[in-house]
This record gives sequence, structure tokens and C-alpha cells, in this order.
Amino acid sequence: MIQRIFHIIKKDLVLDTRSRFSILAGLLYLVTITFVIFKLFGDISGPTRIGVFWIVLLFTSVNLVSDSFGHAGSRRMWNQYQLYEATEILAAKLLFNFAKVFAAGLFLLLLFRVFSNESLVNPPLFIGTLALAILGIITTMTLTSSLTVYAKNQSGLLSILAIPLLLPILLISMKVSLVSERMFFDTAINSNLLMLFGIDMILLVMSLIFISITWKS
Amino acid sequence: MKNWYKYLSVLLMIYVIIAGFLIPLKPGIQSFSPSKITIDPDKSSYLKIKTYNTHFQDAQQNKVWLKLPNDQLLRDEKVTILSQNELEVSFYIPSTLPDFNPQQDALTLIVENEIDGYTFYPDAVRVNDVSGLMTNRNEYHDISKINQVESFKFPYRHILHETIRNTFFHVAIWFAMFILLIYSCYHSLVYLRSKSLVSDKKSASATTVALVFGIAGILTGSMWAKYTWGTFWTTDIKLNMSATAMLVYCAYWFLRASVSDIDTRARLSAVYNLFSFVTLMILVMVIPRFTDSLHPGNGGNPALGGEDLDNTLRAVFYPAIIGYTLIGFWISNIYFRYLTLKEKVELI
Repeated sequence: MIQRIFHIIKKDLVLDTRSRFSILAGLLYLVTITFVIFKLFGDISGPTRIGVFWIVLLFTSVNLVSDSFGHAGSRRMWNQYQLYEATEILAAKLLFNFAKVFAAGLFLLLLFRVFSNESLVNPPLFIGTLALAILGIITTMTLTSSLTVYAKNQSGLLSILAIPLLLPILLISMKVSLVSERMFFDTAINSNLLMLFGIDMILLVMSLIFISITWKS
Repeated sequence: MKNWYKYLSVLLMIYVIIAGFLIPLKPGIQSFSPSKITIDPDKSSYLKIKTYNTHFQDAQQNKVWLKLPNDQLLRDEKVTILSQNELEVSFYIPSTLPDFNPQQDALTLIVENEIDGYTFYPDAVRVNDVSGLMTNRNEYHDISKINQVESFKFPYRHILHETIRNTFFHVAIWFAMFILLIYSCYHSLVYLRSKSLVSDKKSASATTVALVFGIAGILTGSMWAKYTWGTFWTTDIKLNMSATAMLVYCAYWFLRASVSDIDTRARLSAVYNLFSFVTLMILVMVIPRFTDSLHPGNGGNPALGGEDLDNTLRAVFYPAIIGYTLIGFWISNIYFRYLTLKEKVELI
């Protein structure tokens, strides 16, 4: 099974790297959006910078995850439909999307570092939160993108379906990242991280249950 | 009787509207001045008190008391009635009060007569410290001297005033909305097990009515917020949580609208309904950890079942919840029949 999962990931990776522009375009997208933000805000600091970081990450992940299941009736979809179990496809997509969005998040962090000239106060805590938050975000988005496969306006629908559901994750990760940047003081940071992890697990279990319903019926 | 719940819901709603609007509020003290008394040992201190729903002119024995922290009472010297809801009162306050610390304690103001019973304003009057003067011509009374008048009236609460009646609409609508959402989730589960389109339509119609109830809840809550908190929309976290819930269920409708195949639509919307319900439950549990809310039950505000919801309110509030829930089921039943007919027409 694990071999089959890695087979899907390998295939997705090949597809992505074959059109080399898509990766470069993704990087350029992040550079452009960060540049525009720092131009518009001028001097952006404090909690606003952290908030903007999470929002940019949110929309980046919408872009990256939205087409993870292809279009209904496309040949690629039918191919996967016949070859693999739904849970295998979900696991592969989750791993692949997680790697993509996490890489984008780290790159975004680097861009914010360059533009704002402020380094992270507690990098392990911030990056750990980033990983947990991205896990929750991509789990929700991957499941909802499997819902939008049959719909007309895919990425628009994905945003309105997924973003309200991401509010708890974003609230917790915003708070934890403010604490990690010493802008807010809270002693219960471990319980917040534990809660974020718990939410991720609930979302993962729900996705694994529901994907077999949405993907194959 | 086949449609018993419809008759019951109509009866309950008529009861809620009549009782909810017509039962008067208990009397209460709106304002008084001054809020701080400087004691002059030779003169009496005056207080002007404005009240709500009292009958000073009709009553024979209007009394005003000041309650000390040790539950002893100081009686007024003279009460001058200005109108039904306004009076002026003079006190002789001794400079040394027993068990009283002028820096921390304040006197509770109690207004009483034989028609309205008593009403009080806790920790109302502060007294300036004048040490060294020892005059004690006052006698203190026991708290049992205040007479109580039993009446079936809604409690008077500061800031809330008459808007306390919104409990029967705003809060009851939210309760009914949650019951409808749980019912909708139950039918989503039934659909996923049985693949029967009847359950899908039942779930969709219940969600739609819940969405309408949610919007009604936001509107009534918004008006209430304008009166009590000063703005139509606050950053209060419960408000924004309910707004999130509305966004999710609007998205649910967009999902249904953008998928044309009936079975696929039923399958996807059932999954999204369950998924979003669980996520909203997470939100309900997560959010109280972050900010205090202005709503009862958060940040030290008393919740339902505390002193905010006394028995007179309960007598209308619980029927209101049942009434709204039954009406919700009624509307969702009609909408379900409409959806069924529409499907039949489309098939022809």
C-alpha cells in the first residue's frame, strides 16, 4: 500500500516537474504578492505582519491544493479511479500537498524575513506551528477539493467551502505565532499546540472516512 | 391527530408573543444622583432617584433604605414624591458606620413600597470619609423589615431594561437553529447509509430553514447589541462564530447549486454537511479559550440558569424554544414537499 502511495506521489511529482514553469510560477507568485504587500503597507510590523503572513499562506494553499483531484471526467481522474483505493489517493495527495505548501510556507517566511528585516524570535516554535497549521489546512482543503471535482467553478468554490472551516486552525496558529514572536504572553502555549494537533487528527480521520464516499461511490 | 405539532407550535408561539410582550417588568432603579455623598454632621444628605415601573404616587408607604455591608439598614428621614417614577429622599448618615470601610465599601440603595415591593441598586452610594466626628443619632434596622410583594413579572436588569424580552426571540431562535442542524446532520448520515434521496431532501430543507433562522438570530442579536453594547456589530467572538456558521451553510448552498447530477449532489452535500458540522463544533469548543465574550456564560457573565434567567423568564423561554423548533420542522417539511414536487416535475 505504501508503495502504491509513493507511486502516486512520484507520478504527481513527475507531472509537476515536467512543466517546469508551474514551480517557477508558484515561486514568482509568492515573490510578487510579498513585494506588493510590503509596498502597500510601507512599514509593516507587529501582529499585522504575522496576520498577513497567515492570510497569504491561506490563499497560496488554495492555489496549490485546488486542482489536486483534477476535473471530473478527465482521463487522469479515470486512470486513478481504476488503479487505486480512495484512501491511498488521499494519503498520497495529503503528503504531496503538505510538502508543496510547507515548502511554500518556508519560502514565504524567507521572503518576509528579507523584506521586513525582522528575524524570527523563536524559529522552532514558529516552524512547528507552521507545520501543524499547514497539516490542518491542507487536510480540510484536500477533502473539500474532492467535493468540488464535480462542480463548475472549482477554485472559487473551494475558497468559500474551505476558508470558513479553517477559522479554528488559523485562530490558534495566529495566537501561537504571536507568542513565539514575543508579541503576546501566554503560559498555556503547550495546550494550544496540543489542541492544534488534536484538530489536525480529527480532520485527518474525518477525511479518511469521507474520501471513500466522495471519491468512489 | 395527524398534524398535532403544527397546532402546538401555533399555540406556543401565540403564548410566547402575548406573554413575552405583555408581562410587565419588575420595578427597578434607573439612576440616582449624586453617587457620592460627603457627610456633613449638621445636615441631611439628599438623593434624587429615578425608577422604572414604580407607583410612588399610588402607594401610601414609600420607603428608601441604605443597606450596609453587614445587612443593617439606614432608613430615610423624608421622602418627597415627584412623580410615579421619581422621588427625592433625605438621609441622615452618621460619620462612622459600623463595619464600613469608605475606601472599599458602598451602600446599597433600596426603594420599597406596598404596591411594587422592593427594588435595589447594589453598591450604589459611596460615602466620603469624615473621621473624627462621632455622631450616632441614627438607629439601624434589620433587613427583615423590607416587605416583599409576590408578582409574576420579568426581572429588571440594568442595561437590558425592556430588551430582556429578546431572550424569547434571539436566544430561542438560536436553540431552534441548532436542533434543526442536528436533525439535518442525522439525515445526512441516513443518506450516506441508505442512499435514499428522501433523506437528502430532508437534510437540505432542514439546513435551509436553519440558515434562515440563523439570519433571523443575527438580525435580532444585532438590534439587541445596538441597544445594550452600543453597536450593531461587535468583535464579540460568539457573534463572529455565528457569522462563520452562516458562511459555511451559504457555501453548502453554493455547493448544491453548482453540482447538476442529483446523486452526486446528494453525496457531496451530505459529506460537506457532516464535515462542516464537526468543524463548527471544534470552533465552539476552541473559541472560549481565546477571548472573553460579552455574551452570558463567558468571561464571568452569568449564563442561562444563573440569575439572568429566573423562573418567570423560563416560563416563556422554554415554550419559545419548543415553538420555534416545531415551526422550523413545519417549514422544512413544506420545503421538503416542494423539493419532491420539483423533482417530479423535472422528471416529466
